[in-house]
Amino acid sequence: MEHNHKPIPVKHRYFTPGVIGIAIVAAFGMVFLLARFLFGLGAVTNLDNFYPWGIWIGLDVAAGVALAAGGFTTAALGHIWHRDKYEVLVRPALLTAMLGYTFVALSVVTDIGRWYSVWHPLIMWNGNSALFEVGICVMTYLTVLYIEFLPMVTERFMGRVNLPGFLKVFNKIVDKILHVLDRTLNKVMFVFIIAGVVLSCLHQSSIGTLMIIAGPKMHPLWQTPVLPLLFLLSAFAVGFPMVIMESLASSRSFGMKPEKDVLSSLARFVGPLLGIYLAFKIGDMFIRESFVYLAELNTASIMFTIEMVVGVIIPLRMFLSPAVRASSAGLFIASILVIFGVLLNRFNNFVIAYDPPYTDTSYFPSIGEIAVTLGFVALEILLFRAFVMIFPIISQPVKSTIQKAKYAIKGA
Amino acid sequence: MGKQTRRDFLKVTAAIGGTAAGITALTPKQAKAASPEILSEDRMGVLVDTTVCIGCRRCEWMCKKVHGYDAGDIETYSNEEVFGRMRRPQNEGYTVLNRYDNTKNPITPYHVKVQCMHCDRPACVSACIVGAFTKTEKGAVIWDTDKCIGCRYCMVACPFQIPTFEYDKAIEPDIRKCDFCYERTAEGLLPGCVDICPVEALTYGKRRDLITIAEKRMKLYPDRYINRIFGHTEVGGTSWMYLAGKDFSELDFPKLSDAPAPGVSESIQHGIFAYFVPPLALYALLGGIMWVTKNKEKKSGEEE
Amino acid sequence: MKKLIKHIALIIFVSGLINNVTAQTHSKMEFSCQTCHACETPTKSNPCLIPCPREKMITVYQLPEQSPDIIVLDKMKSREDLYEPVQFTHRLHAEMAGMSGGCAMCHHYNPPGNVVPCSDCHSAERKREDISTPDLKAAFHRQCMDCHQQWSEKVECKSCHELNSSGKSAFDKQRKASERVHPPIIEPKKLVYNTPSYEGTLVTFFHNEHTNLYKFECVDCHQNESCAKCHDTRPPIEDENILFAVKHKKCASCHDTENNCASCHTNKETAPFNHKQRTGFALTPYHTKINCVSCHTKAKVFSGLSNDCNSCHESWGPENFNHSIVGIELSESHIEWTCDVCHDNRNFTAKPSCNMCHDEDITYPDYEPGERTK
Repeated sequence: MEHNHKPIPVKHRYFTPGVIGIAIVAAFGMVFLLARFLFGLGAVTNLDNFYPWGIWIGLDVAAGVALAAGGFTTAALGHIWHRDKYEVLVRPALLTAMLGYTFVALSVVTDIGRWYSVWHPLIMWNGNSALFEVGICVMTYLTVLYIEFLPMVTERFMGRVNLPGFLKVFNKIVDKILHVLDRTLNKVMFVFIIAGVVLSCLHQSSIGTLMIIAGPKMHPLWQTPVLPLLFLLSAFAVGFPMVIMESLASSRSFGMKPEKDVLSSLARFVGPLLGIYLAFKIGDMFIRESFVYLAELNTASIMFTIEMVVGVIIPLRMFLSPAVRASSAGLFIASILVIFGVLLNRFNNFVIAYDPPYTDTSYFPSIGEIAVTLGFVALEILLFRAFVMIFPIISQPVKSTIQKAKYAIKGA
Repeated sequence: MGKQTRRDFLKVTAAIGGTAAGITALTPKQAKAASPEILSEDRMGVLVDTTVCIGCRRCEWMCKKVHGYDAGDIETYSNEEVFGRMRRPQNEGYTVLNRYDNTKNPITPYHVKVQCMHCDRPACVSACIVGAFTKTEKGAVIWDTDKCIGCRYCMVACPFQIPTFEYDKAIEPDIRKCDFCYERTAEGLLPGCVDICPVEALTYGKRRDLITIAEKRMKLYPDRYINRIFGHTEVGGTSWMYLAGKDFSELDFPKLSDAPAPGVSESIQHGIFAYFVPPLALYALLGGIMWVTKNKEKKSGEEE
Repeated sequence: MKKLIKHIALIIFVSGLINNVTAQTHSKMEFSCQTCHACETPTKSNPCLIPCPREKMITVYQLPEQSPDIIVLDKMKSREDLYEPVQFTHRLHAEMAGMSGGCAMCHHYNPPGNVVPCSDCHSAERKREDISTPDLKAAFHRQCMDCHQQWSEKVECKSCHELNSSGKSAFDKQRKASERVHPPIIEPKKLVYNTPSYEGTLVTFFHNEHTNLYKFECVDCHQNESCAKCHDTRPPIEDENILFAVKHKKCASCHDTENNCASCHTNKETAPFNHKQRTGFALTPYHTKINCVSCHTKAKVFSGLSNDCNSCHESWGPENFNHSIVGIELSESHIEWTCDVCHDNRNFTAKPSCNMCHDEDITYPDYEPGERTK
């Protein structure tokens, strides 16, 4: 790393009024989470025999996986294509992905009836099941993400191991382990980086395969055999906006100057990626002639229109504009729109489009479901904040080279 | 990242290749478990004649009884008020009857028995993340509750919206659906509902015999039946099949194509994972790109 | 139908006289084997019977009084019998069946000879090899429910048998019922229906005309009727289209119910049908005994016939007309003349003239061309 800035733990007060607000949301969610484990799914959710999957799958899992795509897209750009310029974004993106997938896994544990059997797919295989593939890939990728994160741990603690109390005697040996780990990881890390990208491509698409088996139970605006491709393309498209949004948000939160020129040049990729996604989406719509359903005025057609216009077409136009890419506010809004678009797409695919027979009621998430979903998001933000304050994740100018630094720390 | 050597790269790549090859060798056996070849020519089925059923609901009572639930007093099942609304199978009652008007003869309405159709190519078997569902050689689609993790993907996948789930249980919630009285038939008994039906509106027999019988009935009584056996070809064929006096869509049967429900999703799955070739190819491609861009970088570094 | 039954009864009677022959020799019967058998050469082991062709039924015929009074239906034994066996009041039901479909309502498909027990074809076991015919339990229930469901509009197991576990029994009720006799059904002469029709609300239906004059058989109209025909408890049909179809179905086989409402629907009761009044052609004395279709050959079309005898009887002449039928047996001197010798221009309604051969003082009816027979 021949840069004049390097990742170091952020020094900042942990609790601010905003953080306390988020903590309250998290605590509220955890109350309902506890109720779910004590009294069962029926006590907390609005799920029934017609609607077996709700927002815990549609948002927490499906959208969660999509929004964590920043991890593998940035890793591919920075480490596989070796665009070193984006190196500064890899670590935050990796952390987002790691936390994101951790919470995806937690959401799965929350949603499945027998959470204590979550390990079953490891030994009970069904190669025909898209869900099995998603499960295995997510589990493997989560492991890969933890391994990819290890260098940050070794970097932080190597030579600084200081265990409390009688554990002091292990200080030396732990330090040695960290050293060995660091050396080995350095040699094999590329294996995991490529594996991470491959695994991501696999399960990002397989999540799209999930609803195909529902066949005619799914609204034709979304039901298509190319769903896996659409899911993969939208994951590609949402990766960078997610990184941009989170970088802008955290620099604002920590009172740092955003790395705007890196973000602006990263934003150049978003337009084409979003364009490819839009092209496939429209192409599919014309081949299947599903656009006829847009002529009907109902929840499905309205949601589809919002998803496409607000979530894809408007941000596409914004990302294609150099002026928008040059402004922080423009980048932030455009990124938020893409994220909203993908989030809504996953929600639509799993919740709105799913129209089971034999019921005239429709599903609306319960307070408990919403509380747990928001609670998980809040927890993720809190953990992200804690991690960047403990581990060397966010790149900041090093003091000795402060004159050369492009990014000054405001008020540090 | 910068320290790795060419040798490391090759070594590790080879190791991954070996592992993947091992997995590849295992996979086809797994995939075969749900293939249609295991279906016996003599597999059993039930022909439900909705024009014969009198709506006595004794099948509902028997179903609860043979599965160990509190079935209550059999005479209370003569209560016809329940036909006022459409009912669906429940956790503790895997079958229900629904009533539909018979315009040809209003005095004898039609009754449609609802339970698992026991598809020949079941979506649930294909979907189940842990492979808990099995289509048995004899026809029944059953599930191993010990494997189940409660993900409810089978409920999403089922084209007939049959499996139910014990949402109110915090521990060991289970999927529930008709099991074609798998244990009773293994003992040589008839499925409970077939056994008790007073008018034999449910005929239990080999699926191919049932098709012959159904065709004969339709030919003999063209006024009584519409010319279609539901379940003969729908979603690749089902073990339970229906005869009706009016269009199946008016009897709340779903409109389904003849393509097996898991067909598209399975071909996508096997397309992506065709012996792990596509993932490995992607892996190799990315490795190649990594190697090339790295060398380029090195070269440009040297030039500087 | 009745003819067929008579034939069979006769055959049974004759064959009984000869050698107490039973079903084994029914191959000598005068109806086609294909009525019952699907293949060319049925054998005892493979009779290849056509499953229940109820349209062409062959059955036994007995008077209700000759049949058993009560039959206990206890041949079906399953692992656990929920309900007690049914005491079937056979004679009572035979009597009731006599008012509609006869024995064949239940004893369908009985080759001539003895009454075949139901269990000969319908297996007492539900789990069986041949599932093409319903088992015994289903066969009984289907027979009973056919009427019982229509009659009571409910499925009530209790009305025939109580639960074994209940400690009650339906036997007494059934025995009591078996003593009842249905009052004889008297054929109505005339029925006046009050209808919601726009053009004339009254429909006068002369039942006796349809049976006596138009020569309808009972079953022509009263097909597959059950007790519900008279003992109807169900609510009236409200759907006007269905109501129209149901109400007009039977009349429509002869009357044009679609276009010609006024021929039946009037504002006052109509008089009995009078051929002379309606058409100007008296049926008396020669045409009273023949079926309407003998002249009105085209179904549902009754117009278009002329009252000129030649329009139908053009071919009649001395060689094929028995003149004594009109009351005068022609003498030998008259019998060979063609009709127009006496009946000018073959006009049989006008007075016959004798002046072709005789003087003017010889006229009919002072002189007759033969001997009067009536």
